[in-house]
Amino acid sequence: MAERGVDQQEEKKSYGSVFVIGVALLVALSLWAFLDDNVTRRPWKGIQARFFRLDYSKAQAAYAEEDKKLQADSKYQEIAKKLAERQSSLSNGDLGRKLKALESEEKQATVKFQEIDQKVKDVKSELEEAWYEHDHAVQQKRDPKPYLEEIAELDKRKAQLDKQLEPAHARREQLREEIKKIRSTTKEIEDELGKITAERDKWIRVMENVMLKLGPVSFCCKIPKIQQVSLDEFDRNRFDQPVARVDRCQTCHLAINRPGFEKEAHPFKTHPRREVLLADNAHPPEKFGCTGCHEGQGVAVNSKEQAHGEFHLWEAPLLRGAKAQSSCTSCHLDVQKFAEDAPLLAEGQRLFEQIGCTGCHLVKGYENIPKIAPSLLKISAKVEPSWIVRWIENPHKFRPRTRMPNFDLKQDDAIAIASFIWSQSREEGDTWTQEHPIPAGFREGDQNQVGKGKKLVETIGCKGCHGFAEGEFSTPLGKEKDLVPNLKDIAAKVGPQWVYHWLKNPRGFSPDTRMPSLRLTDDEAIAITTYLMTLGAKSDAVTGIEEKLADPKNIKRGESLVRKWGCFGCHEIKGMEKESRIGAELSTFGSKPKEELFFGNRTDIKETWDDWTYNKLKTPRIYATERIEQVMPQFDLADEDIKALRMLLGGFRERKVNQRYLADQGLRVQQVVEGRRLMQQYNCVGCHEIEKRGGFIRKYYQENVTLAPPVLNGEGEKVQSNWFFGFLKAPIPIRPWLEIRMPTFGLSDEHTNQLISYFNGLSKVEIPFAYIDDKKIPPEHIDAAKQLVSKDYFNCFSCHQQGDKKPEGPVEGWAPDLTLARQRLNPNWILKWLKDPQKVQPGTKMPSFYPGGPDNILGGKEDLQIEALRDYLMSIGKGAPAPTAPAVVAKAKPVK
Amino acid sequence: MKKLGSIVLSAALVALPITAMAAYQGGDVKDGGSISGTVKFKGTAPAPKKLDVSKDKEVCGKTPKVDQSLVVNNGNLANAVVTITDIQKGKKIEVKKVTLDQKECEYHPHVLAFPAGSAIEILNPDGILHNVHSYSKVNSPFNQAQPKFKKTLEVKVDKPEVIEVKCDVHGWMHGWLVATETPYFAVTDNSGSFKLTDVPPGSYTVEVWHEKLGKNTQKVTVKAKEEAKVNFEVAGK
Repeated sequence: MAERGVDQQEEKKSYGSVFVIGVALLVALSLWAFLDDNVTRRPWKGIQARFFRLDYSKAQAAYAEEDKKLQADSKYQEIAKKLAERQSSLSNGDLGRKLKALESEEKQATVKFQEIDQKVKDVKSELEEAWYEHDHAVQQKRDPKPYLEEIAELDKRKAQLDKQLEPAHARREQLREEIKKIRSTTKEIEDELGKITAERDKWIRVMENVMLKLGPVSFCCKIPKIQQVSLDEFDRNRFDQPVARVDRCQTCHLAINRPGFEKEAHPFKTHPRREVLLADNAHPPEKFGCTGCHEGQGVAVNSKEQAHGEFHLWEAPLLRGAKAQSSCTSCHLDVQKFAEDAPLLAEGQRLFEQIGCTGCHLVKGYENIPKIAPSLLKISAKVEPSWIVRWIENPHKFRPRTRMPNFDLKQDDAIAIASFIWSQSREEGDTWTQEHPIPAGFREGDQNQVGKGKKLVETIGCKGCHGFAEGEFSTPLGKEKDLVPNLKDIAAKVGPQWVYHWLKNPRGFSPDTRMPSLRLTDDEAIAITTYLMTLGAKSDAVTGIEEKLADPKNIKRGESLVRKWGCFGCHEIKGMEKESRIGAELSTFGSKPKEELFFGNRTDIKETWDDWTYNKLKTPRIYATERIEQVMPQFDLADEDIKALRMLLGGFRERKVNQRYLADQGLRVQQVVEGRRLMQQYNCVGCHEIEKRGGFIRKYYQENVTLAPPVLNGEGEKVQSNWFFGFLKAPIPIRPWLEIRMPTFGLSDEHTNQLISYFNGLSKVEIPFAYIDDKKIPPEHIDAAKQLVSKDYFNCFSCHQQGDKKPEGPVEGWAPDLTLARQRLNPNWILKWLKDPQKVQPGTKMPSFYPGGPDNILGGKEDLQIEALRDYLMSIGKGAPAPTAPAVVAKAKPVK
Repeated sequence: MKKLGSIVLSAALVALPITAMAAYQGGDVKDGGSISGTVKFKGTAPAPKKLDVSKDKEVCGKTPKVDQSLVVNNGNLANAVVTITDIQKGKKIEVKKVTLDQKECEYHPHVLAFPAGSAIEILNPDGILHNVHSYSKVNSPFNQAQPKFKKTLEVKVDKPEVIEVKCDVHGWMHGWLVATETPYFAVTDNSGSFKLTDVPPGSYTVEVWHEKLGKNTQKVTVKAKEEAKVNFEVAGK
């Protein structure tokens, strides 16, 4: 064994190469560590540096541009020149010399003043001393006289000095004033210039903001820093305890809340609609961060993929752009008001509520949506038996735009299902049929009646909901569905007996229907029935249909099929009242990880939540395998509708956001959401524009929109709640010359109140009822208003009806009866309306009379004139009896 | 939906030339030429419809009224607006007050053209209630009452646009305000003739617009101090 000190060979060995390699490795390792720490693992540093340079150069360019503008501005030139002249004059011109002389004089004057002042002070001290000696002498009973002499001497000296002090002081102050004056003129010019150059100079601050300052020197750019927002108690952990959420997104997205970067690429782009979405009253990023809406892994900064949560370990990947709409429902109860900022979500929610999803699926917040489809309690009295079999087989064949989905059934199964519901409805149906015979006046195909019926259908408002020809519809449901059936083939489905009585009193047949009564006379109902019976041909009978429907085997099998397919989710079926929804609960569907989604044997579909959901909605049974059956029916939705629905589904999350981050979810918001659902259920938007949406019937009135139903934006603020209640319960014609009729919906008190609360909520009405005290109306207001409304002034009754007095000219120029105002209109709304009708209702025929009122009434004070008109309107309807509508009271049977 | 799409598209097409065109620059024109001609109606014009004066007859019904939306005299088309659509530089725009008279419940003139930015004085000589309701999209629409005591009313139209004006009190009253971008415009009279003066030499597109007949254009080359002739024959739709 080699041993040091003994073995010569061992002594000769050198380890130099090992040290060299070791050192090299260490250096390389240190370098790598340094690089990894500063560059590889901190990509945001490079990004920030890039942003600072961008910010700097943009500010520089903006500065240059503003500067160019200023250089071309003669006012700027003039002031700048004035300032420069003044400054040069100050530094080496006349003014400068004068200032210099003044300053040196001021210095001398100060010295002189201080010298005298010092002398005064000295004398005062000596006086103090003398008085002390004097008092001392008195107390020791010595003679104080010498001291008194000294004091007198000193007083004399002080008086002399005081005489000199005053002018010395005045001289100094005068000089100072003169200097100040010279300087302040310069300051004034500087301030004036500052105002003009503010637009330019703000860019200096922007540049300074990204500069690194080292004592007197500064250069671009400052050292990058992590930008972090901490949202206290935003999330809840698995133990349901509040935990903070940390967002570092703005470490790279530096301009997200700054204007001027709209055209840059990410990550430096400004947030779209920043001024609205990130405003202080919306989602200021310093309070809400980014991941609250956009998800992703907010804390991560070491790679883009990790920060965006787009890797396999993170369950909530980034929601880019429009996808963030999914998150609105986490904090907002009312999302349909975001028609502009979350259109897909709003549309998705409408679809979800109206196409029947809630019939099978339970979702928190959507539990109480009523069954969307017709009741089948008396179905045997309504439809042709062969038609119903074909309808159950595939409803899309008869009506491609129907809401009813296709269950893709064999005829056997369809017959079985029909047999069951037929047998369940037979008893009630037969009784109804017996009690409602076909009217004696009905003649099938009577051309006169057909023409009359067609005209009625086109004028009284049927088209606000129904289509009567291929491609005709009013309120759309998504892109390819109709909210209300198209009746172009109605004769294939129902017969005249049912149609007549249905038209006369829909709730008499089906107590919960949303089909309203149009207060038809018997003749009108016969005419419309005759017309409808010309639309479409009777369907061919299915052979032996009557026997098949009565077959007990079919009925029994039908019952189990109805249970399997969950028909009672949407339809009321006798004997199925207690069944529960057959689909999966979707309350937390949006936060399901992809591992929990069943892809069946599909290998062609990408394993993401988005892809799973899209394909499920597109082809609901796509994941079925030979062993696993799927029952969800085919809705045939357009791609856009699927994406809208998916947007809403994505928001069904497990998340519990802390109260302080939530949007207002108070009673008023709840009332708006609830009332809007009801409004949509009754399809008010078919005829009326509400919340800037709807009024779909207007397309038939393009020639003369004034004959179309009124726009109801802001209706809550316009009408008095008590009037509104009465009107909804039993509508009266406000514009009797219109052929279109406000139908009678037969709303319950509860529903009527809900609708009123909805309109009041939209208009933020605080006080829904108004009391008019006639005694408080000043008589001079009435006199003035009588003059104002007269022919010599505003001539209101040129267009407005006044009780029984009708205006001249054709009806399309008429306006509502002003005697209705007292009962109907909100007094404060009248003021707003008279001030600027176009602002309240853009496009209205009512012209603006103000500003421009007459000078000779109520001293020409326009506010007083408007108040007087309001008071007058509130007084003229006093004695007028409330117009009565032909009463149609639905003979509703109590709901079982 | 499709229909809506096409409406949006056509609205965009209408709005585009206004926004896309570089702003017009006015200045002195030396050696300018002129463009003149007549606009004729192709075919036989239908007899003008009599208007049903159903309100304020004592004033509005003094003389019988006919529909002014297609006035043809011996084949000459009146009330057509002739403009140069692609002129960038030319004479100064003179913004002055123009007048729209509502005498006997009819707009005089039926088509009033003026450079954008002009003030329009609207007269109410008959002393009855009118309202002036504009159906504009580019400019903000107005709907102002003009009661008996208000003999004149002034409105301003700031941006170039063809605006329909109606009176809701008298349903038959109907006219047009045509605010142009350049000072080169003319409204044809009963002889169908028009003349645009002080046009700098160059080639231009001359457009004729008529409320019922739409737009027609022709190319024309103007030489210094010469009169270029361009005649239109507009077909009924």
